[in-house]
Amino acid sequence: MNARDVSFEALQIGETATFSRTIHEKDVEAFALLSGDMNPLHMDEAYAQTTQFGQRIVHGMFLGALCSCLVGMYLPGKRCLYLSQTLIFKKPVFIGDTVDVEGTLISKSQSTKLLSVDIVFIRDKEVVAQGQAQVQVLG
Amino acid sequence: MKTFNQIVQELFNIKEEAIRDELSSKDIPNWDSMNYLLFVAELEKNFNISFTMDEVMNAQTLGDLRKLVEHRAS
Repeated sequence: MNARDVSFEALQIGETATFSRTIHEKDVEAFALLSGDMNPLHMDEAYAQTTQFGQRIVHGMFLGALCSCLVGMYLPGKRCLYLSQTLIFKKPVFIGDTVDVEGTLISKSQSTKLLSVDIVFIRDKEVVAQGQAQVQVLG
Repeated sequence: MKTFNQIVQELFNIKEEAIRDELSSKDIPNWDSMNYLLFVAELEKNFNISFTMDEVMNAQTLGDLRKLVEHRAS
């Protein structure tokens, strides 16, 4: 799959990009290995059942990785230089959940070639996380 | 809408009382190339103005940027 290739000038304020991702157990295990975060809330079903969540939850920063996918592949895509990201985890995401990742271009700076992209994660019409990315569009 | 100084405080992490127009990247540890771009973009967004690339590249001090904002916003 190739990243979208679009120039700064062609990007329009208000344009959106969306993809869906179902998060499987192997994704959580892979993320735990990659990040080193083996917290039992993500990895130990017996422990997770004793918590308020009643089951294992997906690492919040796995959603952060999906932000990287959104800006690196779709909005803006190939020419993206990722500069910053805010992210608020509003609801837990569970193994097996499908989330829609929706990005909206909210501002462009001609002088710096910077974009602000609002990102929301939606599960069953409910926002489970949201944040904002700042990216630069390379020439 | 935020003030110029509020944006300086947020992006460069310096206290209000330390802000002076003659400050430059040599004086503000957090004034690196990335933070500077974020600072400029935040000024543009906050004041609903646009700078040119030359203006951004030629500005050396906080005072230079404050004058640009005042000129654009007037």
